[in-house]
Amino acid sequence: MHRMTIALVGLFLLPGAGWAQPTSPLEKYRRLQFPAKDENFAKGWQERVALEYEIINAADLKALRLALKDEDPFVRAIAARALGILGDKDSADALAELVKADKEYLVRIRAVESLGYLKMKPEVIQLAIKDRDGGVSWVAKLAADQLKSDTDYAKQLREAYATGIKREVMGTAKLGKPAPDFSALTSDGKPFRLSTALGKKPIAIYFAAYDG
Amino acid sequence: MHQQAQLRLKKDEVEKLGAEVYVVLAMDLHRTRVFKEENLLLSKGTGRFSKEKSLVYATALSDPAGYASAVYGVARKCLRWGAWVENQPHWFVIDHGGTLTFMLEPKFDTPTAYEKDVDRVLDALMKGRAEK
Repeated sequence: MHRMTIALVGLFLLPGAGWAQPTSPLEKYRRLQFPAKDENFAKGWQERVALEYEIINAADLKALRLALKDEDPFVRAIAARALGILGDKDSADALAELVKADKEYLVRIRAVESLGYLKMKPEVIQLAIKDRDGGVSWVAKLAADQLKSDTDYAKQLREAYATGIKREVMGTAKLGKPAPDFSALTSDGKPFRLSTALGKKPIAIYFAAYDG
Repeated sequence: MHQQAQLRLKKDEVEKLGAEVYVVLAMDLHRTRVFKEENLLLSKGTGRFSKEKSLVYATALSDPAGYASAVYGVARKCLRWGAWVENQPHWFVIDHGGTLTFMLEPKFDTPTAYEKDVDRVLDALMKGRAEK
């Protein structure tokens, strides 16, 4: 009987068996082959996108709160972002601590961004405006403006992530093929769908970075 | 922002072509609105755009979860050059029939690269219209 128990446990621990594999999206993110580092800019982005959706939609608040103390700054950063989008006001104190004391600027950016989504801790957001890193200061100024707005940006983000994304649709825009459809919001908050604009005029679309 | 500033200088040409231009940001609505309405970036310098209130002529679209960006293959969700970057900037042109006819990844490698990029986009838009 004892040997049978050991054999069953061993079976689960084999590669490919259930218990040996990371099952939560957060754990998969921790084990990404290509984490969000500079050198991976062109590699593995599909998995980073897919896991961001999965982490937010799984809404595992307990795991996310724990992950704010993870050793890996990328995990702390994604957890901070997810908690803000999920509207978890109970995490505001922990997010504020990250803004004030985390040594990694990418974590401070995501944490202050989330305080803006939660519309909490204005004094911490003001502190972050004076952060030594320009990126944190930039995001903190935007977060400070969001505090004054009635718009629930976190809800908009949750709704956008809730539609999900399939790995097979990523990167399907190809020259000579029909332009893939997508929906978005215009800057004044109106719904937009590309398909309603097609077939009338030639269209140019620029996918921008904030400084590009 | 630089590409959009250059495009704005060619606004009349875009209108003559009867074309529509969109700029997509994988960011929340607030940041998209600020990008569209405020010149936060180039106002800090002394260049030709420093006194302009807004630089973006195109219709700005918020793609908050980065869905469109991922479908068009430009999502990165990564750090680059010390900053968090959601997308690698790209231009796409769609002709009057809804077919993707042009794609351009700006290189930002010379002082005049922006102008050349926008000229290539306008050329692609003209071809997209000519096939009508």
